[in-house]
Amino acid sequence: MRRFRSLVRSATLEALAEPLSAVLFLVALIAVPLLPAFHCHQFGEAGRLPRECGFSALLVFGIVFATASAVRVIGGELSSGTAAAALARDVSRPLFFCAKVIGVLVAFALFSVAVGLSTVASVATAEMGEVQERLGYAHVWLPGLVSMVVLTLAGFALAAVLNRFFRMRFCVTACLSVSGAQVIALALVAAGAKVPMQWSLLPALAALAAGCGVFVVLAGALAVRLPPAAVTTGISLAALSSFVWPVRAILPDIQMFWLVDSFSYGGAPAVGQLASAFAVGALLSAFWLAVGSILLERREIP
Amino acid sequence: MSNVPAIEIKGLRKTFRDFWLRPVAEAVRGIDLTVEKGDVFGLLGPNGSGKSTTIKLLLGLLAPSAGTVRLFGMPPRTRAARSRLGYLPELSYLHPFLTARETLLYYAGLSGMGGKAAKARCAELLEQVGLSAVANRAVGGFSKGMARRVALAAALVAKPELLVLDEPTSGLDPIGTRDVKDLIRSLARDGVTVLMTSHLLGDTEDVCTKIAILSKGQVAAFGRTDELLTRKQDARFTIAGLDEEQAKAFAAEASARFGREVQFDHPRVPLEEFFAETVGEGR
Ligand SMILES: Nc1ncnc2c1ncn2[C@@H]1O[C@H](COP(=O)(O)OP(=O)(O)OP(=O)(O)O)[C@@H](O)[C@H]1O
Ligand SMILES: [Mg+2]
Repeated sequence: MRRFRSLVRSATLEALAEPLSAVLFLVALIAVPLLPAFHCHQFGEAGRLPRECGFSALLVFGIVFATASAVRVIGGELSSGTAAAALARDVSRPLFFCAKVIGVLVAFALFSVAVGLSTVASVATAEMGEVQERLGYAHVWLPGLVSMVVLTLAGFALAAVLNRFFRMRFCVTACLSVSGAQVIALALVAAGAKVPMQWSLLPALAALAAGCGVFVVLAGALAVRLPPAAVTTGISLAALSSFVWPVRAILPDIQMFWLVDSFSYGGAPAVGQLASAFAVGALLSAFWLAVGSILLERREIP
Repeated sequence: MSNVPAIEIKGLRKTFRDFWLRPVAEAVRGIDLTVEKGDVFGLLGPNGSGKSTTIKLLLGLLAPSAGTVRLFGMPPRTRAARSRLGYLPELSYLHPFLTARETLLYYAGLSGMGGKAAKARCAELLEQVGLSAVANRAVGGFSKGMARRVALAAALVAKPELLVLDEPTSGLDPIGTRDVKDLIRSLARDGVTVLMTSHLLGDTEDVCTKIAILSKGQVAAFGRTDELLTRKQDARFTIAGLDEEQAKAFAAEASARFGREVQFDHPRVPLEEFFAETVGEGR
């Protein structure tokens, strides 16, 4: 168990320590509240754009962040030799592979939670919105929008301060503090908004995260044998086009995890839909974890 | 159980192959070696003679093309065998974002150690390799020799019974080199078996009780260092406080007595000793 924990922790740290991760966290968490606010058209429903924006941010930024991390952690360890130093110890290869991938999934879960909270806050902000003539007729509730954006930026600034005065790792702290900022922003929005919060978005976003998780594990498994650039590009393209033949024939169809449409006009996804998305996600992740473990078991580590 | 050798290699061969399975390099061509418990074993040989490959084969990181490897009588991929082993790779592979202390704690965790015991062990090792002052700096910014010291401490963290060191002194300053040699000797006194490679023949000679010389993937010479290097038929004397004149007289006397040619010279201190005296123990 100690071995497992050490491996998971180091993989999570490595995923978050990469500068690209901090940038993706920041961009995604700014994009979720800001992008929908500046559209004049509401598509007949104020919450629709922020909802779609949240799901898209999780899918696009999440897949790029997590597959790149998985490839870097697994492929990087194998090519840089740190895997050899670990596997020369009393650590079995399946444990090494699974723990490292799970470590990346933990980092991805942090990202998903942050985007999820931000999406709930952003939907409430949009529903409170009114037309602002000064802002090009944008449909905005300024107090909510400003607190979300400012708190996210403040989280980033806090990381800089902690790095300056306490030498804490900037990128890791930034990912954590911008995520923490979402909790405060959501609390502020929930306190100030006079509309019901759509908590049911969270399980639907979690289902999407489960779908993305499959691609993360798949990326890790492929990185055992293939060069990093090829895996990152291939997986990102495959995930984003997983509903297109022939990809849909061999990989999980992201549409199965994409439950945003069921929220139209006050609806919510059925429990069965959610449950089957989680079940398929877990099953496929377990399958690719096993494949990756077997690939690593058979690989030579020069 | 007690007379099982620490390492037993029989008929070991390794051919590296490319993607199409064409042979690229025949790195190891039939090696037989036995390292008994308590030996300090030096594996020598020119660049590309297969030293690192042999080590990776015996750690189970590479799969042999032919032959067998046994660690304490067990195949190297068994966890029981590897739990008794510490490995210092040829290059100090470290996670650049971890500090020296975190690196050691990570490796302690991988050996199943945790809590206060692991922390105390890491602090002790940092002290031992002279890195206590920089324990909280990220190893990504370390110099080559500092990284080497971290990697060495990482190999020692679980108090292994068998220590496999691939060029332990590469990148170290002369005092670091001497510290490592002292460390190896003191570990050997505690009963730790050591297998090391090195290009510094003098260092190997100083610490190794047995050596094997590899050449083109084969064992060219193997045996106890003393037996291989000592010329029992000759004798050499060092007499303190003898000047040139007295020495000449003594040589002449000895020559007359034994009917042999007698040579003498004045001993030099090794540069290592002189260096250590000059810079002191501080770094
Ligand atoms: N992963 C690999 N793929 C292909 N060939 C390899 C690989 N690793 C080593 N070799 C080849 O095997 C031979 C032995 O290499 P090895 O690293 O064991 O030498 P060495 O004795 O450790 O040399 P050095 O003193 O330079 O460290 C070399 O010809 C090398 O090119
Ligand atoms: Mg070598």
